[in-house]
Amino acid sequence: MTHEFRSLLRGSPRDAQGYIEGVPSTVLLELSAVAKTFGDQVVLSPTDLLITEGSFVSIVGPSGCGKSTLFNIIAGLLAPDAGDVTLAGRSVVGATGHVGYMLQKDLLVPWRNVEDNITMAARLTRGVTAADRDEARRVAQRYGLGEFLDHYPKALSGGMRQRVAFMRTLVTHQSLLLLDEPFGALDAQTRLDMQRWLLDVWRESGRTVLFITHDVDESIFLSDRILVMSPRPGRIVADIANSLARPRDVDVLTDPHFVEIKGHVLRLLYGADR
Amino acid sequence: MRARVVGWVLLPLASIGLLLLAWELVVVVFHVQPYIAPRPLAAIQAVIDKWGVLWPLVLGILRETVFGFAGGAVLGFLFAVAMSKVRVVRRLLYPQLILSQAVPVIALAFPLTAMLGFDSVRPIIAIVIWIVFFPVTVNVLDGLAHVDQDLLNLAKVYGASRWRTFFQIEVPATISPLFTGLKIGATYAITGSFIGESVSASSSGSIALTISQANGNNEEGLVYGLTLLLAAIGVAFFLAVVGVEALSTPWLRRTTSRPWRRRRLATSGADQ
Repeated sequence: MTHEFRSLLRGSPRDAQGYIEGVPSTVLLELSAVAKTFGDQVVLSPTDLLITEGSFVSIVGPSGCGKSTLFNIIAGLLAPDAGDVTLAGRSVVGATGHVGYMLQKDLLVPWRNVEDNITMAARLTRGVTAADRDEARRVAQRYGLGEFLDHYPKALSGGMRQRVAFMRTLVTHQSLLLLDEPFGALDAQTRLDMQRWLLDVWRESGRTVLFITHDVDESIFLSDRILVMSPRPGRIVADIANSLARPRDVDVLTDPHFVEIKGHVLRLLYGADR
Repeated sequence: MRARVVGWVLLPLASIGLLLLAWELVVVVFHVQPYIAPRPLAAIQAVIDKWGVLWPLVLGILRETVFGFAGGAVLGFLFAVAMSKVRVVRRLLYPQLILSQAVPVIALAFPLTAMLGFDSVRPIIAIVIWIVFFPVTVNVLDGLAHVDQDLLNLAKVYGASRWRTFFQIEVPATISPLFTGLKIGATYAITGSFIGESVSASSSGSIALTISQANGNNEEGLVYGLTLLLAAIGVAFFLAVVGVEALSTPWLRRTTSRPWRRRRLATSGADQ
């Protein structure tokens, strides 16, 4: 399942698919002909998808286009009617415990402090070790929440809570992270802060991210690829490469290439050429 | 802090004081005869005068109430868990639960006493359990049904086992409804003990029998005094449950856990 690609793009360390130039890229996630129907409604028509290791891929689309269904199938919460999902070459259909997963709701448990929320996955699967606690403290200190380890979630702001939720996802050590509109409930300024923060963490952690969002700007700012989905039946209608150079910061938001991609995506979502 | 003392201690005490004052005023203003209703202080004095005989009986009713309450809490919780996990159990048990509470407890007290012994605390404890388990079951069942489905899904995505999910998520998420049930149970428990004592024929006596005898002897001071005492025990029980609830849910009132450790971390953070 190893595919070699060459970077086609000018000077950027990662090309459109997130491949690092000169390094053989590996497919981490592969969906082949995955489909799902609820009653007589096709929520996901047969879908193929390859996600390479280390890439950041966004999914945009209106409500009901099947993007959350897609996530739930990859995470193992839903079994597809047909097709196969392989992660690092291994079929994971109907299985759980192989991805990191985060929603718009932070889902922190109110009865545990920040440190114990970060170690939640270990507590739920095998019991928390001293190493887990050390790692939780290290991650929290590194990403600016070191002084809040003993705080209960209700004492934190929305942005801080989402950061804790993301750290909890990070310490599961899953190579694939599914983020379903994680910043959707935050105000615009906090959201931009969180996006920049996420890019830093992503670059350092080397994880592969699949990111659902309603925000076209967010999808372009963050990702190497943008998948545009459409409802009735739910399907991927476009797979757009984003070659904006990394590391990215706010100036990217006014780059002509950014505006060009944005126009393309907006036309796909709202325009006539859908 | 001072506002909290005023709000949570002084005002409730003042409210009870006002109630006793109103009682006193009614007795004095309307010239209520002592054999109808004594003045509150006379009622309290009557209990103090007989405290030497009364205290073992007070200990007795406390014991029945505590054991019955604990039994009812455990049974009520187990019922709720079984009903929430197994649909057949829920369908079978729910009508029985409602039936159990529709029956007047005092009517049940007679056959229960005949079954479990006239000169025994067992029927009394059984009645308290009967009264206490129901609000616990109903509230915990409701709590378990309302655990955030997204949180349960998250646990599933992590690959969590059902047991760990139950103890790490469902049980703590149900702690507030559990205490709602326990608080209702705590106020009813003393009534259960009283009904049980009224029906049983304990050879060593009981508070309920003492009240009954005092009523027959026209010792209204003792009747009112013991009734006040039972009410005070009920209130103390309720407050004890509220106290345990506060201790077991620090996240509802506190900003941080372990404040002593936070200080240490704050200094180590400043070193960096």
